[in-house]
Amino acid sequence: MSLTILTAYDERPDGTGDLVYRAGGTDLQERLRTTGATPHVLDLTGVPGFAAVERTDAGTTLGAGVTVATVARDLATDYPALALTAAGLATPQVRAAATIGGNLLQRTRCWYFRHPHTSCFKSGGDGCPARDGRHLYGVAFDTAPCVHPHPSSLAMALLTYAATVDTTHRDGLGVGDVLGDGSDPTRDHLLADDEVLTRVTLPPPAAGERAAYVRSISRFEAEWPLVEAVVRIVRDAAGTVTSCGVAIGGVAPVPLRLGAVEELLTGSTLDDGTVAAGAHLATEGASPLPETGYKVQLVEATVLEVLERVRG
Amino acid sequence: MAHRLVETQPQEALMELTTTVNDEARVIDVDGTESALDVVRDGLGLTGTKLVCGSGVCGACTMLVDREPLLGCLTPATRLRGASVTTVEGLADGEDLHPVQRAFAHHDGLQCGYCTPGFVVEAVAFHDRWRPEHGADEPDGPSREVIAEALAGHLCRCGSYEGIYRAVAAACRGEHDGGVGDVERVDAPAKVTGAAVYTTDVVLPGMMHAAIRRSDVAAGTVGPIRFPDGVVGLDVLGDDRRVRWAGQPIAVVAAESLAEARRIARELVVPVTVHDFVLDPEVAVRPGAPLVYPTRGERKAAPSAGEGGSMPAPWDGNRHGPSRSPFLGTLAKRRVGAARAAGRRCLVELEFHTAAQLHTAFEPHACVADWTDPQHLRVWLSTQGVDLMRYAIADRFDLDPAQVEVVAEHVGGGFGAKLSLTTEATSAISLSRLARRPVRLVLDRHEELTGTGNRPGSRSRVSMLVDDDTQAVRALVVDTDSHAGVAIGNSVAALSMLLYERTPRLARDVDVVTNAPPGAPFRGPGGPTSAWSLEQTVDEVAHRFGRDPIALRAQWDGNQKRQALYRWASALPTWERRPATGSQSGRFRRGVGVAAGNWIYLVDPDCEVVVSVEAGHLVASTAAQDMGTGSRTVVARAVAGVFDVDPSHVEVRLGRSHGGTSHGPASGGSRTTVSLWSTAVEAATSLRDRVGTDLDRAPDGASATAKRGGDRGLRAVPMTMNGIQVGRGFSAALHVTEVEVDTRTGKTRVLRVHGGIAVGRIHAPVLARSQCEGSIIQGIGLALYENQVLDPHTGLTLTANLEDYRIPQLGDTPEIDIHFHEEGWDRVPGGGVGLGEVATVSPAASVGNAIFNATGWRPLTLPVRPDRLLEGLRSEVTR
Repeated sequence: MSLTILTAYDERPDGTGDLVYRAGGTDLQERLRTTGATPHVLDLTGVPGFAAVERTDAGTTLGAGVTVATVARDLATDYPALALTAAGLATPQVRAAATIGGNLLQRTRCWYFRHPHTSCFKSGGDGCPARDGRHLYGVAFDTAPCVHPHPSSLAMALLTYAATVDTTHRDGLGVGDVLGDGSDPTRDHLLADDEVLTRVTLPPPAAGERAAYVRSISRFEAEWPLVEAVVRIVRDAAGTVTSCGVAIGGVAPVPLRLGAVEELLTGSTLDDGTVAAGAHLATEGASPLPETGYKVQLVEATVLEVLERVRG
Repeated sequence: MAHRLVETQPQEALMELTTTVNDEARVIDVDGTESALDVVRDGLGLTGTKLVCGSGVCGACTMLVDREPLLGCLTPATRLRGASVTTVEGLADGEDLHPVQRAFAHHDGLQCGYCTPGFVVEAVAFHDRWRPEHGADEPDGPSREVIAEALAGHLCRCGSYEGIYRAVAAACRGEHDGGVGDVERVDAPAKVTGAAVYTTDVVLPGMMHAAIRRSDVAAGTVGPIRFPDGVVGLDVLGDDRRVRWAGQPIAVVAAESLAEARRIARELVVPVTVHDFVLDPEVAVRPGAPLVYPTRGERKAAPSAGEGGSMPAPWDGNRHGPSRSPFLGTLAKRRVGAARAAGRRCLVELEFHTAAQLHTAFEPHACVADWTDPQHLRVWLSTQGVDLMRYAIADRFDLDPAQVEVVAEHVGGGFGAKLSLTTEATSAISLSRLARRPVRLVLDRHEELTGTGNRPGSRSRVSMLVDDDTQAVRALVVDTDSHAGVAIGNSVAALSMLLYERTPRLARDVDVVTNAPPGAPFRGPGGPTSAWSLEQTVDEVAHRFGRDPIALRAQWDGNQKRQALYRWASALPTWERRPATGSQSGRFRRGVGVAAGNWIYLVDPDCEVVVSVEAGHLVASTAAQDMGTGSRTVVARAVAGVFDVDPSHVEVRLGRSHGGTSHGPASGGSRTTVSLWSTAVEAATSLRDRVGTDLDRAPDGASATAKRGGDRGLRAVPMTMNGIQVGRGFSAALHVTEVEVDTRTGKTRVLRVHGGIAVGRIHAPVLARSQCEGSIIQGIGLALYENQVLDPHTGLTLTANLEDYRIPQLGDTPEIDIHFHEEGWDRVPGGGVGLGEVATVSPAASVGNAIFNATGWRPLTLPVRPDRLLEGLRSEVTR
């Protein structure tokens, strides 16, 4: 049997061989087609609660199989930063099929990783051909051996909520715990082979939250971001920011939450000077590659853009 | 009869599931990795749904699953369990098309038709959702933004986006609830219902599947290849055993399934001695660089990226050329040299770079070959020339042309890359002969984007010297190095010599060969590349002397047809409200640019059309093909006009070449319509004169044949080669383009394009407009997004998918206005010439000039990506 439709996360088929978990399939199916691999597929879509959204006083829990489209639609009021990010990624069809769990755990989009005739850290090799090769879409914060940015836009937004993740092995992981810091270039996430992401939990909605998401790309839509940024803020009656979250993606081995920028904005009224200073601060520590210098400027531009938009 | 991919792997247990497809209950077996598309296309034989990108980018495989549009290629087949699936074949209610299908046909929201099923299925879902929610409140229908958002997951390489906008909006307004209305494209109904059969859809009993083993090194010598026992395989390398680019075919194998063939190809042992190679053209011309063609014999076999073969020119290492096109060339050189030495302001010198643009026709190169007996060969081939290929195949396989039949009922785009006999065809034919069974070979997207050709990149230096007072041109010198990888025969600089004043000038074209994949002819070969440099130089002259760029061109240009376009363009409100260059300082800056296009006029004088009466119906036949450019429609309209009937009453038989068919033109060099139209009119007229117009009383089988013939006394070159005669005169184009540049993010949006096209009488106005709109879309891709990228250490193509190779989307489409100037070609039979090439020459250059007008910074390097624009604006500020 090359396929098992699971009814429980910990169910395992008899026998040996390559196993692969599948949720929406939007990343996996393409890689299977390209590589011609025929692993045993463990399909998660039949697990009870896989696509459930539960709201309690303690927060909102999303089954790993909640689709990106559902996040965009159903969380728009309570978690606008996450919902706007979800609505801004990929295409309507991909959003309808892709899941929040799959989005967090997807493999890198690097053109070397996806090329059938190259090998790299992430495809079983021992180097990063992009570093000395072509990396126009690579990182601008060169902090890890692999130079392609992590593809998960939702991870970036979840960072700003300090969301937690449960797996079959562990509860209450931070998004950062799941993705790591890129120092192990062979991995896009740190879950064990037989560990399944089961739930994502968001804290209770923040009353009065405003948010903005911007994806800097070259065309109209449906492109992996050159740079992306998300911001969520809460302001008091006087317009002073009482809490905020800012994160950027497309520029580092993992999405970056910008604590220093958040600190700068908190307590301000988002006046022009603070917004500009915040956008500039977002580039602090940038260390672009030969072909990604433009991304530093684009980080500043994109953060400036989200801050101006969220200010209203 | 359809072949099941999984049936060949009986060791794999399968899951049986029940689903409903187009209202019919089906029981299907699926394995773990199969996609919904595999099941529907290969398993159930519903071939309307297409595979293009295989990565969820293009939407061609869209199907409705429980009324929701899903990507067939990424959706696991298990999702179909208990579901109700609707494919493009199931949208119509019998003969009664869905309003969206009617709208696509009426508004011509399609050309080659290969992406059309996906667009139509998605648009049906959108329409069915939108109308109950908004129909009552929004009588104008959805906005372009709303449509672009909803259809964001779809791509069309022909660039039929304007028609798609029109169709979706009209359907949502309810305009097609009652009926279709006029449909100019005669095969549109087949294309919007999924009934149109492409080569990739052909399934024969007992058919084998073939796969290619390609080189993963950029240069090497390959030893003997031993195929495992029982494997049907072929070595396809030349006698010199050399591979010269990464991706070059080495061997082909056939097997019972595609998966099996790919596995065998992957596991073949290929002994390769790796050689030094060179990818960077600047390195290639340095002394000691590895030679792509070390010997004279090898150079002779170099492929050509040009349409008419390569002109003889000297070789010097990896440099082939120059080919010179001079007119008082020495004087031109001397004048430019003197002006340069004197630092004269009236000398404008600029250097331009362009990137390779990939054709990426949505139907990949595909062939199904079947030796019906050792003396008869039938070949389904996705080609731009069924008749051309019949002769090429006969020649290659030592057959009489009468023994070969080539079929291409519908062709899913070509753009120039399907004009020659290439590996997919020769391999399928050879393997089929070996196996004595039909063999199918279809390239995947990765192969299509690696090795099937490209519009070569280039470096051009343009020197234009004008008179200080009058700006009359005193000299023009253009030097172009073309970078067509292992291919030669580029002609870019030479095209710059054909537009403006007959003053001293010199063009030198050089091919710099490298170990990169070969270039191939691409709509208007050399044209957009040439215009990118020449038309920006002209713009720079105008800017330097404070002249209106249209008025300056009008002063120089002897082409009366383009003069008419200058008058039309000058009066456009878009042109009149053009800002002063560099006058804007805000974040968003708008600018308007103009560029002119020029093309030679070609015709196929051997073109024949037969018109006959069969059982009271008109039938027209010719061995031409329709790749979305509309030859079927052109013939139908020509014949219908003579008999005063609706074109839908003329059955056009084309897309087939065999011993019994008359010669038809290849679809290349803008010669199809100009060859077919007057020939079809003549044949129809001759038949009408004989049998009258009451077809019911006409003798069954009565027929008349006409042959095009040349334009007597009016040919520029007194010879015909390969069905091509160079006619006299040039077709003309002018594009006026408005852009908006976001100086913060580096993103350029094209807002509006006016395309003026002077090719004389237009024989199918709706289709002609579609093709001109598509030229603009492709030009925008060239200008802003499209960029082949190779790995510098291996030569592997990194942009071998539609995610990294970025073609324009629906939302990138500007508002487009096409203006036809229909005079000036009365001496040509039918009164008009072809437009496929001329319409494609100037759009990208007009975008470049518009960016300059908006920002004061001139983009010299293609594509103008956000990173380049940001850097350019920074340098402008510094300066």
